[in-house]
Amino acid sequence: MRERILAAYDPFVLPFVFGMTFVLAYCLIALVKVLLQLNAADRRKFALSLITPTTIVKNIRDIFCDCLLHVKLWKRNPVLGYMHSSIAFGWFMIIVIGHIETILYIPERLHRLYYPIFYRYFMEEQNTTLQGSFFFFLMDFFLLIILSGITIAIIKRFRSRIVGMRRTTKLTLTDRIGLYSLWAIFPLRWIAEGFTAGVAGGSFMTVPINWILHNFMSKPENITVAWWLYSIALGTFMTVLPFTRYMHIPSEILLVPMRNAGLPVRHTRKGFALTMLYSCPSCGVCIDACPMGVQKKNVKDATVYMVRNLKRRNQKRSLEIAEKCLMCGKCAALCQVQMDACGLRLAYRTAQEKKTNQIPADFSYLAAVEPIAPAVEPVALDDEKVLYYAGCMSSLTPVISRSVQKVLQSAGVRYELMDKDGSICCGRPLMLAGRQEEAQQLIAQNRKLIEASGARILLVSCAICYRIFKEHYALSGVQVWHYTEYFSRLIREGKLQLRNSHQTLVYHDPCDLGRGCGIYDAPRAALRTVGQLVPALKERKESICCGGSVGSLTLRYEDREPITRNAIDNLTANNPEAIVTACPLCLKTFGRFAPVPVFDFAQVLADNLE
Amino acid sequence: MSQNVVVIGGGPAGIEASRRLRDLGYTPILIEKTPVLGGHLARWDRLFPEGIEARTVLDPMVADLDGIKYFTETEVSSINRLKDTWVVKLSNGLSAQVRAILLTTGFDLFKAEKKEEYGYGIYERVITNADLEDWFKSGAAPQFDAVNVIGFVHCVGSRDEKAGNRQCSKVCCVTAVKQACEIKEKFPDATVYCFYMDLRMFGRKYEDLYLKAQKDYGIRFVRGRVSEVSEDNDGHLFVKAEDTLFGKPLKIKMDLLVLMAGMAPAADNHQLARMVNIQTGEDGFYLPQSIIGSPCTSSREGIFFAGAATGPKTLPETLSEAASAALAIDRYLKTPQKK
Repeated sequence: MRERILAAYDPFVLPFVFGMTFVLAYCLIALVKVLLQLNAADRRKFALSLITPTTIVKNIRDIFCDCLLHVKLWKRNPVLGYMHSSIAFGWFMIIVIGHIETILYIPERLHRLYYPIFYRYFMEEQNTTLQGSFFFFLMDFFLLIILSGITIAIIKRFRSRIVGMRRTTKLTLTDRIGLYSLWAIFPLRWIAEGFTAGVAGGSFMTVPINWILHNFMSKPENITVAWWLYSIALGTFMTVLPFTRYMHIPSEILLVPMRNAGLPVRHTRKGFALTMLYSCPSCGVCIDACPMGVQKKNVKDATVYMVRNLKRRNQKRSLEIAEKCLMCGKCAALCQVQMDACGLRLAYRTAQEKKTNQIPADFSYLAAVEPIAPAVEPVALDDEKVLYYAGCMSSLTPVISRSVQKVLQSAGVRYELMDKDGSICCGRPLMLAGRQEEAQQLIAQNRKLIEASGARILLVSCAICYRIFKEHYALSGVQVWHYTEYFSRLIREGKLQLRNSHQTLVYHDPCDLGRGCGIYDAPRAALRTVGQLVPALKERKESICCGGSVGSLTLRYEDREPITRNAIDNLTANNPEAIVTACPLCLKTFGRFAPVPVFDFAQVLADNLE
Repeated sequence: MSQNVVVIGGGPAGIEASRRLRDLGYTPILIEKTPVLGGHLARWDRLFPEGIEARTVLDPMVADLDGIKYFTETEVSSINRLKDTWVVKLSNGLSAQVRAILLTTGFDLFKAEKKEEYGYGIYERVITNADLEDWFKSGAAPQFDAVNVIGFVHCVGSRDEKAGNRQCSKVCCVTAVKQACEIKEKFPDATVYCFYMDLRMFGRKYEDLYLKAQKDYGIRFVRGRVSEVSEDNDGHLFVKAEDTLFGKPLKIKMDLLVLMAGMAPAADNHQLARMVNIQTGEDGFYLPQSIIGSPCTSSREGIFFAGAATGPKTLPETLSEAASAALAIDRYLKTPQKK
């Protein structure tokens, strides 16, 4: 390798240097801002996580897999996965190889920011030597990979259905500038290197183009023009980057360790939340994921648009979107950067409640609940004795609490009813409405009742209650079981004798149980013993919200109906004889429109007891 | 030869309109999908506000069907437009070519199972207003040990967006008052509650009945909706409600709970509407040209409505609408056909 331009400088590097300096400065300031916005406890937690070996390994692995290789996207959509990882990983490799070459052959130039990027211009080498052909080949190989990715990206922009996306995000003006400059970078690089391939060496991509366009490319006065264009494309991309969706590239590198540190979303656009907002790549996966998308008018209520409005401080729209959401969590489950979409909305609702709510809640009645709850007469419960909390929703669907008791009796389980004579709400509806403090009061009272009862097992038949019991109760000495898990345990242990009716059933994953608590297999295992399970089109993590969710504060009934009908169509695609769900709210919601009977999980078991 | 008119639905509206059309010189073809004529009225025991027996209204109507071709257990298979006529094919293989069709498809009783929190179909002691009429009519009381406390729940599936029925069913308020008095006559020692949102006593003598229910029968009216119903081991009910006048929650042990199921649009409405290419409203009932000016005419030539097919109505309203529908059809058929 030999230095071709001894000055190691040419004015064409200036656009790149400007863009690069700008973006680095911007990110540095943003980093400081984010860290300052964290509260002291979160900051300490974050710092601690950065020196914990296991988290370090996890961080590196996640950054590599998520940001560069896009492993999650590969699993979901290989074409899109290839497109993203080819650009991200290919570009990363080109930068890395540029640096390796600089380090190996001309380390004294390493301090020049632009040198590894424009290495081909400044250095020359024969492609007949081993080092030449090796590095030339690598560079051209990754360039080819990137170019193939860019080709898919261009196709996707105009025909998103080809790559399996029904809808894609509507881009802003700066996004477009960023997008077009990104598209331009690599073809320009190819041409620029094609020019230098004649004088400084090249490989299978750059040499042929030099041959093909020989008359044009052999003119030395054209060389710098090509490199100028390449540098301008780079510079433009870097300069607009902070104002486009491409800000997700640097943000994600911060987001991964912050997420791995377990930081909560405490604000809608400060600290962790800010990192999250800027990590949104606006890919639009959430648009197709959103159950409200069945109606075109609700397409703009998807998470990507909430993020955009939060970034722009558009309070009115942000509030609208935050309050309308069903909080089913499907967008978050499918999100490539694991955006805490529900957490952000909840933070918004909480902030809004604090601002506008003038009516203090009167919880004086809570004291009155105490005497009739099990607290006054703590029964001596042994390990096997179960405390069953039906919850408000199960009380409104008496078939559930009845069936649960029938199954418990059949299995010979000794149980006590927690809410026989009235109970206190689990608190989740209040929490979803942004009334955190009020919810905490209910939680505190319920916790007191449960712990005083001496029960070891708290059985819950409502997915909504189950989630809050799991996440916010921190009950000491009490295991919380959802009835789907508990009953499949009873089946496994042989305590429950069931017959198989051979009825074809489809199981609907309730949002709070599936995506919320990760319970997918227990209900299915149990249902297989009483019937024949057929799959839905989309299920498990991708299950579609029934539309009845208490999560939405503003969605009207006429707008919920199309969601419910769409979810039913999804469930009945394989013509099951009945729909089975494990959430009282789904049961009620589906019951209104389903063409086949809708049963609760416990009901199906109770009907098939030997 | 007199002109045929097809009347779809053999309830009070259909029977009355058929009789009027016959009197005007037409031959009505009355189609009823169930085995008996009379619709919901055939099932009812007594009628508000005076408590006269339903059969004293229905029987003379059904006895006077000379000149009317009627088919029970028959449904409409298809309706097609042929020039300015409608060709109606029936499930019994017959077909008719007519210029006018009258839709008197009435309403469906709201399915009280949908309000699962009230426990209909789950608890034995929860029944509907229609079940109660069956009981009164047949005299076969359900075998409960003692009936000391009875509740009536108003607006079950009426004015209830969640249940998909936003409209007021109009007749249930006064029906509940009537039935509360009747059951009090059967169980004079029982305490009878009515849980209401607000009482719509709009008709003549309804208010009198309401006052009588309070004064003479001692019915207890509680303003507030029932939130949920549960059951104890003996099958007795616990009814939770809120008394919104006192601002207090209530919990009452009951022996019988009657749900005032409201009027829902007939399930066949959509299918029939598609056959003749007319619209149903957002609520599922047919849309007349004008609710005030021309309640019996549709947006399509030769298609007419009468009765609860266009929204909840009382019996007298239904009967008078049947008569005016007959007149509207008569005028339409006498208007010279456009070339």
